[in-house]
Amino acid sequence: MTPPGLAAARTSPAGQTASRWRMRLATALMLAPMSAWYFFLLVVPLGILLVFSVGERAPEGGYQAGFTLDNYVNLSTRATAFGNTLWMAAAGTILCILVGYPLAYYLATRAGDKKTVLLILVIVPFWTSFLIRTYAWLTILGNTGIPAFLEAVGFGKTVLLNTPFAVLLGIVYNYLPLMVFPLFVSLERLDKRLLEASKDLGAGRWATFRQVTLPLTLPGLLSGAILVFIPIMGEYLIPALLGGGKVFFVGNALFDMYLQSRNWPFGSAAAIGLILVVLVAVGFYLWFGSRGRVERQVSLL
Amino acid sequence: MDALFRSHAALVYVFLYVPIALVVLFSFTAGERSGELRGLSLRWYGTTLGDQFVIRALGNSLVVAFSTSIIATTFGTIAALALSRAPRAIRTVLDGLTYIAIIIPGIVIGIATLLFFVNIFGWINPWIAYLWSSLGLGGRPLTLGQGLHTVVAAHVVFTMAIVIVLVRTRLAGMDRSLVEASGDLYATPWRTFRQVTLPQLAPAILAGALLAFTFSFDDFVIASFVSGPGQPTLPMYVFASIRRGITPEINAIATLILLVTLTILFIVQLIYRRQARQAETLRAAAERVEANLEDLAAAGGAAVAA
Amino acid sequence: MDRTEFLKHDRAFQRGHISRRAFLQVTGLGTAAAVIAACAPSTTTSPAPSEAPSTGPSTGAASEAPSASAGIDPLADWTPPQGVTLGDTLELTTWPNYHDPKTLDRFTQLTGVKINVTVFGSNEEMLAKLQAGGTGWDVLVPTNYTFETYGKLKLLEPLDLTKIPRFDASRYEARFLMPAHYPAGSPDLYGINKDWGTTGYVINTKHVTKPMTSWKDFWDLARADYSGKVTIHDYQLTAIGNALKYYGYSFNSVDPKELADAEKLLLDVKPHLFAITSDYQPAMRNQDAWIAMAWTGDAVQLNRDISEITYVIGKEGGEIWSDFFAVVANAPHREAAYAFLDYMATPKISAKDAEFHGYPVVDSAAIELLPDSMKSNPIVYPPADQLAPLEFGAAVTLTDPNRAELWARVKSA
Repeated sequence: MTPPGLAAARTSPAGQTASRWRMRLATALMLAPMSAWYFFLLVVPLGILLVFSVGERAPEGGYQAGFTLDNYVNLSTRATAFGNTLWMAAAGTILCILVGYPLAYYLATRAGDKKTVLLILVIVPFWTSFLIRTYAWLTILGNTGIPAFLEAVGFGKTVLLNTPFAVLLGIVYNYLPLMVFPLFVSLERLDKRLLEASKDLGAGRWATFRQVTLPLTLPGLLSGAILVFIPIMGEYLIPALLGGGKVFFVGNALFDMYLQSRNWPFGSAAAIGLILVVLVAVGFYLWFGSRGRVERQVSLL
Repeated sequence: MDALFRSHAALVYVFLYVPIALVVLFSFTAGERSGELRGLSLRWYGTTLGDQFVIRALGNSLVVAFSTSIIATTFGTIAALALSRAPRAIRTVLDGLTYIAIIIPGIVIGIATLLFFVNIFGWINPWIAYLWSSLGLGGRPLTLGQGLHTVVAAHVVFTMAIVIVLVRTRLAGMDRSLVEASGDLYATPWRTFRQVTLPQLAPAILAGALLAFTFSFDDFVIASFVSGPGQPTLPMYVFASIRRGITPEINAIATLILLVTLTILFIVQLIYRRQARQAETLRAAAERVEANLEDLAAAGGAAVAA
Repeated sequence: MDRTEFLKHDRAFQRGHISRRAFLQVTGLGTAAAVIAACAPSTTTSPAPSEAPSTGPSTGAASEAPSASAGIDPLADWTPPQGVTLGDTLELTTWPNYHDPKTLDRFTQLTGVKINVTVFGSNEEMLAKLQAGGTGWDVLVPTNYTFETYGKLKLLEPLDLTKIPRFDASRYEARFLMPAHYPAGSPDLYGINKDWGTTGYVINTKHVTKPMTSWKDFWDLARADYSGKVTIHDYQLTAIGNALKYYGYSFNSVDPKELADAEKLLLDVKPHLFAITSDYQPAMRNQDAWIAMAWTGDAVQLNRDISEITYVIGKEGGEIWSDFFAVVANAPHREAAYAFLDYMATPKISAKDAEFHGYPVVDSAAIELLPDSMKSNPIVYPPADQLAPLEFGAAVTLTDPNRAELWARVKSA
């Protein structure tokens, strides 16, 4: 924002200092609500979380002051939940890429003038209620849904609900739009002349995809991957509804630690653990992204 | 190859819409069970709209989502405007917090803010009670507790961050020449902001407000940690109903929510188009002014040279 | 005594100034409470009671409580207390499928107090939420084994029985009411019984053809014939407790070796379960599940709608429990909370409510009013020999950190 600065440029030097102070004050005032909010509802809560994570469980549950690293050591007893969450998040992300990439490619290059409408149709479900999107699968996967159909066709008895499959399905269903959108943007920006050049140089379709399209749309793919991966890591609802208490994520473990076993210090340690995993994922994304950029610049030279 | 891509896309759309379509379809059942269509009727809509618990939960959710959206959009936009002028160190810290607010899983925000509220209220309430009695106020002392306000407070944390990112992105890509032209035309800063900057930012602000509303309206996890007694939001109510026995009422609620979101999306789309058109007109006008100024300058230069 | 004088006494009586016995002496009406009903139309419309309630409470401690209840006819319909401002809302925190909506609506009609219901899945969850700054709560429905914890944490208030005139401890079987005294044996009563029940399992006999009578059957068949069709509670107290019964251990065991056995069993069974959930009605209704660990009332409700579903109490034993209405400490709507407790202590009201939720009531006067179909229903009132081996949950069973952690481990495995 320059307007106040512009105004200042027309006044005397003394007036300039005064108005610079005025501007600083204005800036500070404008940042105050946001800073206060971040301080009280983000920084302080995370600080309390950190303090709680080295505390002890009170006899009746809850928290009592203390200093111990046991809660972090005991995180190993939740290794299954962390491992489960990680592999499901990875699998979900990969599935979203496998389903989303061809769709985004189709939308960006071959859908013609229906492009906008079709893209909006991918996004619309994302704006509807998450809970209801997940709930919709309950009936389909339940006893009277697909399993009944499969049995009628002669596949025998199958159980779909409350399995890792059901949870993965719910994940792909809910997060696909987040993957398609950035992929679409990067595919649309793709310089079509590069593809033609590759073709002219005798490269096959696969070779062109591998050597031109994929590397150039990698940023979009990475953005999509991180957009999908992070929320899955903190997922609670999908496993709660489609996993029946048998497919367990860190999020579900956290709910239990706070609302059932009432071991707040342990829950806090697990929450910190979850934050660290997410930060590592984001760090990896940033590192990978910047490395990719350098490499692309090199290859362009 | 083309056919392959097209059929893949078709399958994805089937995948995306069949579950939702089934929910809508089953909401018109006349039967007692949710996963089937036994006769057509609107009875479950009648039940839903007559159910005071649904209505109350919906009311709570609307209050929370509107408040969140307004607070997050206002403070977020103001902050985004000021951030680019802030000293580098402060900006780095605030930007970092913005990203942390976005990437931290909702469940962690829920837990952390819950702990915060428990502690702060536990600390502050005895003081209020003390002051209350020492001031000689009668009756029960005021006690602070959890309620819809705590849900809003927690929601604003990450929705405000989203607004800030959106508005800052838009600011970065904004056409500076318009602001400068406005300054050259001796418009006051406030007028420049109102007539030039704000219209250009409008799409980002609108998108931010809409996202904030949606995320807040849709949130189950954070609300279930920090909401107060007897004040469920609609997702909390829906979650409980899903778990505790599925009647077709839940399908009717789902369909109504779908209807409302789609209507809002449609209206926003309309506003967006109008905004885009207005911005276009504004830009064209500004370009004309600029061209005139340049002509003027050129003429002046020519005159001086002559 | 002329009519005005009678009315004066009547009003005093209604306000609770004089005891019932004093009132009856003064007015000389004896036990003909029906006349009171006729003279004071606002009080009641019910027929005369068949018997006057005895005044000797059975739980020694409660007898000391000054019973202003004396005087109000418990068998009459409920009327709001006079001269008390009730406010306009009441926060009721309870379990799913636990109240007839009509009962709650009627309270609102009579008093103008709207009831906001919040539903929880377990006592642990309720306790957690209450510990986490549950200010603003009024009435709670805790189970017998929670009072020691709630008492220690001072989360409930000792009941002022003068505000619950329709409650009379003598109508309540001591073993169900006793746990609400805290500290154990003290005169302070923290809750009055809502109902009681057992924890067994429901089976859908359309699919389940093997005879099932014990917890051994339950856990064994869950891993064999009915793999993938069984649900267990998402609640450490009952899930672990009934796993302990498989080995014949106590439901309340906190012995590390016995708990280790239970954990082994639970981990072994887990892959075979359809779900771990305390909301098993939907799965039973659409036959995703054929067998579910269940509480009495859910069994009654399921059996009422689908007659093939029956209820089994494990013959090794298991849990018998009682639930209470309790008033939260510092309740913002305290008067409304007491009015609600008094309302629910009215036999006519609680009997009608029980017909909906299907849990057996404790109040002997209310049992009298139940329809025969319910009194003779073996799911509601099981034969004594089935009840004999059952245990009440202990306070430590709820709070033992090892049990909590064991259950969390099983779930996250």
